[in-house]
Amino acid sequence: MSRPTASTSSIEGEPLRPTASAAKAREPMNVLIVGVGGQGVIMVSKALASLAQSKGYQVKQSEVHGMAKRGGTVFSHVRFGPQVWSPTIPKGEADILVALEWAEGLRWLPFLKAETGIFICDTKRIVPPFACLNRRPGAPLRYSRETPAEVRAHVAEGYAIDATRMAEELGNERAANVVLIGALSTALEFSAADWEQALAQFVPKKTIAVNLDAFRLGRNWIEEERTAVDDAEAPLAHIPAPAAAPYNVRLEITPAWCKSCDICVKLCPERCLRLNQERIVELAQPEKCTGCRLCELLCPDFAIRVHLDAVAKEVAAMPGAKA
Amino acid sequence: MIVDSAPAFDVRDYLRLEMMPHFLCPGCGHGIALRALLWAIHELGIDKDKLAVVSGIGCAGRLSAYIDANTFHVTHGRPLAYATGLALARPDLHVVVITGDGDCLAIGGNHLIHACRRNLKLTCLMLNNEVYGMTGGQVSPTTSESRLTTTTPLGNSEPNFDACALAAAAGASFVGREVTHHVPKLKELIRAGLEHPGFAFVEVLSDCTEIFGRKNELGSSAEMVLRQKSELRPSAYRDTVDTPFRSNDLPTGILTKTERPEYGMAYRKAAAAQRANTAARASAGVNERKA
Repeated sequence: MSRPTASTSSIEGEPLRPTASAAKAREPMNVLIVGVGGQGVIMVSKALASLAQSKGYQVKQSEVHGMAKRGGTVFSHVRFGPQVWSPTIPKGEADILVALEWAEGLRWLPFLKAETGIFICDTKRIVPPFACLNRRPGAPLRYSRETPAEVRAHVAEGYAIDATRMAEELGNERAANVVLIGALSTALEFSAADWEQALAQFVPKKTIAVNLDAFRLGRNWIEEERTAVDDAEAPLAHIPAPAAAPYNVRLEITPAWCKSCDICVKLCPERCLRLNQERIVELAQPEKCTGCRLCELLCPDFAIRVHLDAVAKEVAAMPGAKA
Repeated sequence: MIVDSAPAFDVRDYLRLEMMPHFLCPGCGHGIALRALLWAIHELGIDKDKLAVVSGIGCAGRLSAYIDANTFHVTHGRPLAYATGLALARPDLHVVVITGDGDCLAIGGNHLIHACRRNLKLTCLMLNNEVYGMTGGQVSPTTSESRLTTTTPLGNSEPNFDACALAAAAGASFVGREVTHHVPKLKELIRAGLEHPGFAFVEVLSDCTEIFGRKNELGSSAEMVLRQKSELRPSAYRDTVDTPFRSNDLPTGILTKTERPEYGMAYRKAAAAQRANTAARASAGVNERKA
């Protein structure tokens, strides 16, 4: 497909394609919104797109949805300006990156403009299943360990907001995305009143009040953050502790009761049991056992009992035992 | 992760250890069902002295012998009849009936439907392994069509019973079904049955590995346990040719739960009214004579 040819003729009116000098003014504003399915990424991008459209801009938006619902990675490109050619933002071209989840924000950082990009990120951490492949209780998560300060050092302008906590304090955790809209609104030229009008269209009627509060909260937070001189560290959002305290697993096997039926060996999710030479079950790889109790529950002969012994405190406090 | 009340629960606290190991074959699902029952009893905090287990004849009937509580091992097919008398005489007891598919549906079929009809507070645990295991693997009322047993060497030609539908139709106010693979769910179901104020019928789909499984080449005990899971698939898989064992879209969980007057309570009320009536008449008679 041929690209539109550049034309500088004044007779033809506006040039179809900006010249180098006019490029700056005619370049679209690129806003990339990312998060985890269910957080409201699409809603944020819809509000922004409709607002920009109502202001007479050409808007192109491109998103992923559907399969990413409820826990998958979701992104939405919003581009608006006098003329927008492509709906997707090239790598390194996003003016603003709004992330509703911490690791998703980090994942999309390469899309941000290196010199001028603004990074607005919720410090909410949603640990995906593949970051906890080691199912042993207390095992370290493979979730990103970057602190907000480290990230801010890498971007031109970065804000780490604990928007989820702020929304929770307002009474509805789901308004966290609107807190981020509030933060985003300060980086764009639209007035607060316009934003609030656009928001009211996109949130459920019953929650308009809390969402407008959330919007103002986010907006004020950013302004305070800008005026603050010291580089106060935004605390990382609270990560729910593992359901159980770290413990050691010990299997108590009654050899006289085992009838070598093989159920525990075949059904162990970690494959850490085996039948010994006398066809009696034994724990072959104790380090792999997570203490899930499946063998105990499924043993028809009551030959296995799983004990979860609490780990001594100094061991539990060691790095890596808890992430 | 199953980290709940399990750590506090040791099944051995509820077993007659001198009887162990039990006589069931390797891989028999009845042991798993017994654990689920004892786990539910532990969770409800039922005192062993307040628990009465009545069981009939068969592999399932044998289970009562291993429970460290008040247990009756009674005649074939009649555990519900014994339990009815027991529950009426001792309403303070938790009466649990353990019965097998043949015991409950063939020999004791009549007792089952009348127990369902009366709605006496009882928990009937029917362990369905589709075969008479103890007597050598004869066909039972729940044996699926085309299955091989010692009495159906060319494959079972009779349609089988849906025990849950039967119990519900007979008027049981609580009907549930679960497989032994899902032990925590089975425990929850039995627990709900024990808590139900009325007749609770729980069908447990158990595996007979040594007799039924071997005869029908269903694989090792582990494979049979896993098959339970694969056969719980939605009806899209129903037409799989080589799995006539159980219909694939097998409903599990609580199937029926209704509120009906409990028979024991109604009976005691009627008896008390009758007694009061008799006493009133007797005292009236005395007064008349005096006058």
